Amino acid sequence: MDMLLEQLINGLAIGSFYALVAIGYSMVYGVMKLINFAHGDLFTLGSYLGYTLLVVGSGWITSTFGVWGGVVVAVLGAMLGAGAAGLLLERVAYSPVYKAGRLPLVVSALGASIFISNGIMAVWGPRFQAYPVESIPTGSIMLFGDIRITTLKLVTILVSLALMAIIYFVVERTLFGSAVRASALDREAATIMGIDFRKIILFVFFVGPALGGLAGVFAGLNYNRIIFNLGWGYGLKAFTAVILGGIGNIPGAMLGGLLLGMMEALFEGFVSGAWKNVFVFVILIVILIVRPTGIIGEKIAEKV
Amino acid sequence: MSDITRNILERIGRLQAGRDTASNTRRLRIFLSVLVVFMLVFPFLPFVNNYWVDVGFLVGIYALLGLSLNIILGEVGLFNLGQAAFYAIGAYTTAILYNQFNIPILLLLPISALVAGGFAYLVASPIIHLRGDYLCIVTIGIGEIVRITALNNPFGLTNGANGITGIGNPNFGLFAIRTPTQFYYYIWIIVALVILGLINLQKSRVGRAWNYIREDEIAAEANGIDVRHYKLIAFVLGTALAGIAGNIYGSKFMIISPSNFTFMESCLLFVIVLLGGLGSIPGNLLGAAIVVIFPEIFRQFASYRLLFFGAALVIMMVFRPEGILPRRRERGGFNGLGISKIPKDEDALLARAVENAATIAPAQAAAPAPVTARGGGRLSDGSFVLETQHVNMQFGGLMAVSQFDLKVREGQITSLIGPNGAGKTTLFNVITGIYHPSSGKVIFAGEDITSLKPHQIISRGIARTFQNIRLFPSLTCIENVMSGAHCHAHSGLFPSIFHAPGQQREERRILDLASYRLHQVGLWEYRNELAKNLPYGKQKVLEIARALASGPKLLVLDEPSSGLNDAETEELMGLLNKLLAEGFTLLLIEHDMNVVMGISDSVTVMEMGSKVAEDLPDKIYNNPKVIEAYLGKEE
Repeated sequence: MDMLLEQLINGLAIGSFYALVAIGYSMVYGVMKLINFAHGDLFTLGSYLGYTLLVVGSGWITSTFGVWGGVVVAVLGAMLGAGAAGLLLERVAYSPVYKAGRLPLVVSALGASIFISNGIMAVWGPRFQAYPVESIPTGSIMLFGDIRITTLKLVTILVSLALMAIIYFVVERTLFGSAVRASALDREAATIMGIDFRKIILFVFFVGPALGGLAGVFAGLNYNRIIFNLGWGYGLKAFTAVILGGIGNIPGAMLGGLLLGMMEALFEGFVSGAWKNVFVFVILIVILIVRPTGIIGEKIAEKV
Repeated sequence: MSDITRNILERIGRLQAGRDTASNTRRLRIFLSVLVVFMLVFPFLPFVNNYWVDVGFLVGIYALLGLSLNIILGEVGLFNLGQAAFYAIGAYTTAILYNQFNIPILLLLPISALVAGGFAYLVASPIIHLRGDYLCIVTIGIGEIVRITALNNPFGLTNGANGITGIGNPNFGLFAIRTPTQFYYYIWIIVALVILGLINLQKSRVGRAWNYIREDEIAAEANGIDVRHYKLIAFVLGTALAGIAGNIYGSKFMIISPSNFTFMESCLLFVIVLLGGLGSIPGNLLGAAIVVIFPEIFRQFASYRLLFFGAALVIMMVFRPEGILPRRRERGGFNGLGISKIPKDEDALLARAVENAATIAPAQAAAPAPVTARGGGRLSDGSFVLETQHVNMQFGGLMAVSQFDLKVREGQITSLIGPNGAGKTTLFNVITGIYHPSSGKVIFAGEDITSLKPHQIISRGIARTFQNIRLFPSLTCIENVMSGAHCHAHSGLFPSIFHAPGQQREERRILDLASYRLHQVGLWEYRNELAKNLPYGKQKVLEIARALASGPKLLVLDEPSSGLNDAETEELMGLLNKLLAEGFTLLLIEHDMNVVMGISDSVTVMEMGSKVAEDLPDKIYNNPKVIEAYLGKEE
């Protein structure tokens, strides 16, 4: 029983990373119909930016703001950096290719992904880097029963859930959010209705990577070690989560991420760690066969 | 060897041949001859050491892998980002069977192909219908599943991360392929054979079917292409070739491990196909050469080379998204169709086709007795060729078509009219099998066709056009029209690979038929233009020609006159009348009342999914219910 709860909590933590990364995939897919292969690498970039802030300014930041202050600085820096990189990515690699069609866009995304991950390797080196121990918050809290959870993990989960709630509110409940959703449904019609598509694109390519960057820092803090191609695995899982929840559907991406994280953690805890990724992809395939629209996706009949 | 090369040379030469510029062709021939000679003597050139011969071998392997993915991605447009999985399966099949049972490597070559293709068939069958991006992510998943499985050493078969060593060399009796030079020739002979087969395939019913699917899946299905079947053929054939590459790779390097078959590997193959140009064989070879040689040249910048590579990809897609050597199908003329024994002069071919029209396009049911005036009270005579019985079509809570009985008399023109959103197109989609009705039946020529798929329905004799033109934009007009005749031919994969005599006879018939129909609608002069380059009005007519090429009993046209100017509409009405005289039965959705009243024998009015009226055209004019449907009730 304890093991079950523990794995569920672990799953919730890793699931929130998937969910945060998945939001970015889903938003970009919605407005551009593109799997942004470089998105996972922006997650890595965020993780490295946070790492650098903590290493370079570790003495100063941590002594001035305390350990949690350091985390806040690292997270904000990573979000800004990854968001800016997202905007740049869109401007350089996607916007000029958009009208050439879907396949060139996919190749451009693959190229951008290769470029970013190898750029990270060129700057920070090919080996694992560890987040500095002194900047990782310690301490833990007793939950119900005798389940102990590290404060960091609890904060990770709570912050992620809070951000998801904010994104949910913005996308589903505000006028701007409905413009985003309208653009995802039909770009041309949305433009005719006076929606500034450029603005939507900017929003999507800033917010998505920023959330990814935040997830990157928290992943670094929680699991300590980071490497230049870290984002590929997270990215792939996150995209699986997107499909699980229903593609182009932002609440679906969140739900899919959390569910996927928990299923993965349970499988790892009770069946096998070595086969967990196989399990994840088998789930993906089964879902696509049985319910291709995802858990809360709606069937859209193609217009003939 | 020299025969093969000469043959490749000729075929590639023809593939790339310019339509008008003979000197262009000659220059290309010279270039290709130099290239082939260079490749033949490459291992013996003074500055080439074993290292570079091995690079040449690797280019061959990637060329083979690129070609294998090109079938799936380039020809059919299936986003497969997991091709490395099938490459891995070929390699592991070879390694495991060789080490466990000592089966000769060469015998394992076809076995690897079969295992890879068979596995592909099993995993692709349930997912092949998925749309682009879904398929993309699933194939990535399959790639990972295979790699992780190899890594986890199931039953001690794969030896985990270390991989399998001690794979033997291929040998013919006593002669074993061992040295780099021998391997170089070995791989390139196989690549050459594969290219020969592929060039033939591209120029066949099967290859065209693949391209139709890539261009527009729904239009392909509606024109008689069994989309699922052809996708599976491509997937299995492409993955089987990857299996062969796996066998050769394993026998050359004698060691394989999961790290050879990562996602990056699949990405590289994807890039080869896109870099060269979709469906372009020369482009594919060039792409393979770039992907292999580029990192070799930049060896001293080892850690930056992928950085450059990524940047180069993005830059390439920004400035030349169609690839470096895209296939130019509009250039070769009918020569490019690869059909033997056709007249060099295309007009002569047409003349022959028109002359033989009676035999190539068998007359429809004998033309009806001449009609003095259209709409002249023929409501009662003639039997029904098509009937929908109580058809309901429900989308969620919306009843798009409800309890609809449509009756179409043989040899007449029936029009279906109604306000926008009345459900007319939905009913057409039900008739042609794109939708299956929630309840009710569709009876055509006495047969219940309710549950048939579109490609089966066209072969029963109902052909259609679409409201929003759905041509195959990057194919030529003649190729577009040839798709209509697809359902009346039968040649499968192997006759197409070898261009067997029977297959060639079929191709000639398809070409004659398509030429005749293209000429009939007045688009003969555009035969070698790409469909997307035609003006709107001509595209609409081209769609009719495509439908006609299937030799239908019933022609279903969805708003044929919309977007046409007066002169074009006039011409269209002339064409429809001619078709009627030829014995076709026509069912139209139309908004232009001049067309409806001018040529219809009977008119059915639809509103909100239900039938409002069915009558002779002039009576419909004055029907109060119809007026109400269009103009609203008078207060």
